[in-house]
Order: sequence, then C-alpha cells, then structure tokens
Amino acid sequence: MDRHENKMDATQLTELDAILATEGELVPSSGFLAAVMERVEGEARMPAPIPFPWKRAVPGFVLTAGVFGWSAVELVRLGVPAMKAHPMAMPNISFAMTLPLDQAGWVALALGISLASWLLARRFVGRSSLL
Amino acid sequence: MTEKPIGAVARNAADDLAAVERVLAGEVQAFEGIVLRWQAPLVNMAWRYCRDRGRAEELAQEAFVRAWRGLRNWRREGSFSTWLFVLAANVFRSDLKRFPTVDVTLEEVAEPSRPAAQHIALAEALSSETVRRAVLSLPVRYREPVVLFYFHEMDVAAAAETMGMPEGTVKARLSRARALLRRRFPALESELDSGGTGAVHEAQRRFEDG
Repeated sequence: MDRHENKMDATQLTELDAILATEGELVPSSGFLAAVMERVEGEARMPAPIPFPWKRAVPGFVLTAGVFGWSAVELVRLGVPAMKAHPMAMPNISFAMTLPLDQAGWVALALGISLASWLLARRFVGRSSLL
Repeated sequence: MTEKPIGAVARNAADDLAAVERVLAGEVQAFEGIVLRWQAPLVNMAWRYCRDRGRAEELAQEAFVRAWRGLRNWRREGSFSTWLFVLAANVFRSDLKRFPTVDVTLEEVAEPSRPAAQHIALAEALSSETVRRAVLSLPVRYREPVVLFYFHEMDVAAAAETMGMPEGTVKARLSRARALLRRRFPALESELDSGGTGAVHEAQRRFEDG
C-alpha cells in the first residue's frame, strides 16, 4: 500500500496540525550512547539464566497429579458410603448460644461496608493495587 | 533543539539487519551501531510521550536494553525499525501508566493568548508548547494515537502499526482527539490557506518537501 495514501492532504491542515507536526528534534545527550552500551555490556557479562529443568520436573508433576487424583478418588469412594450411613443432622443449639452470632453478622456487614468504601476511595485516587 | 523533521522511517534496513546478525553472533559492540542509528528517533518518541528530557532519555535507554534482550525475538518479516518502535511504545506506555506525566484535565490547560507584535516569535513558541503539552492531558486512549501520528509525520498506517491496532481504530481515536483539542483551542481551527503562524508555514514547507 502506498504510505502517502494514509497521509493527510497538506491543504486540510489546521494550525493545530501544524503545531503538533513541527516538533523540534531533541538531540540525545553526549553520554546517552555510552550509558546504553554500559547497560548492554553489563547484561552481556551476566551469566545466562538457568533454564527451568523441565525434564527433571516432569516426573514430579506427574507424581503430584497422580497423588491428588488418587486422593480425590479415594475420598469419593470412602466418603459417599460413609455419608449414606451417617446422614448429617443439625445439632440443637439453644437461643442463648446463637445470640452472639447475630451480633457477628452485623460486625461482618460493617467490615464489608468499610472494605467496599476503602476500595472505592482508592479507585477514585487512581490506585488499583491493594497496597 | 534543532528544527529538523524526524526522518524516523527512512533508515538503512540493511545496516540494521547486519548489525543484528553480528550481535546475535556474540559481537556485543555491534549493538552500538543500532543505538547510534536509532537513539534520536527513540529519544524524540519518548519525549513526545512525556515532554521531560531526562525521563525521555531514561525511557529510550530502557527501550534499547529491552531490544537487546529481545533481539532474538525479532522476526525478519517486518522491518527492524517497526519492531523497535512497537517495543519502545510498549515500554513508554507501561511506564507512563505507572507514573503519569500530568494530572491536569484538558479543561485546566490555559488557552494561548494572542501576542503583542514585538513578542510574536517568543509568544508563538510558548503557545505551541502549551498546545503540545495539552496532548498529555488527553484521555490515554486518545493521547497515544496523537503522539504517534505526528511522530510518524502524519502517517496513520505507521502509527497503527506501532500501536498494534487497526488503522480504522487509530483514525477514529485521532479524530476524537483532534476534536477535543480543537474544542479546547478554537483559535487553532483555521486552515493553512487562511494564513497563520510560523508553525503553520513550517508544517506546510515540510509537507511540500516530504
């Protein structure tokens, strides 16, 4: 594609375009090249990063996955008959014991509102990370 | 500063390719040729993103170091300069996201005043700088198309390539950005034909030359 097709026609230019198009060229400072090369040479001198030992790690990953899989299968195999044999029953808790838990609900709600307002305030000042 | 257009695109691709091959073969010093060729465009590009000379050089330096690290990833399909500009734009964008340059809104930017005749040149320069700085007050999605469009000498395709966006998206954002700037600076809406400031004539001359 002809690049000039994408360019603006000079007759359509406004003063705004003219100002933004005629930016003076900044000449890099005399030490710029040396500073870049110093960093590059520093990086070149550093030993190459040690690659992750995938070949050695793969058996470990397989073993871990196998253990987790086997555990899940065993859990289901043993857990399902046990649950059928002993169905869960709700314990009878007295009103006096549950009263403090009602208060805990209100505390949890207050904490939730505080957290939400804190997050909202952070969003307003433009900080998105938690800390 | 010298008043020359940035001929960012017209570089010797063969020199770049040869230098990259030498660097990849282990000749670290060959990277110096790349830095020499591209230091001015990269510093100027960074300058347009932040308008802070010290920071522009730091950003350009970071871009060169990232280029050094990722040189093996450059696929020879596109030009080296395109790859370098894309990489640099990513570096500048992510850095400016973490540390924004200005915290004023476009509405807070002062309108350039009309100068007294004896101070026209100085006042024009100051007015132009105000307008250029106002670009940094644009919302982020509109700022970068403006920066890259004018950096690439008003080439939408090059700006789109550097941003990794479709040309249509860049054009739409550019149009919106220009509308925002024109609304803020209505006095700058006049076309070149109607006669204007030194900047207008300079831009026209560059277009005719280029």
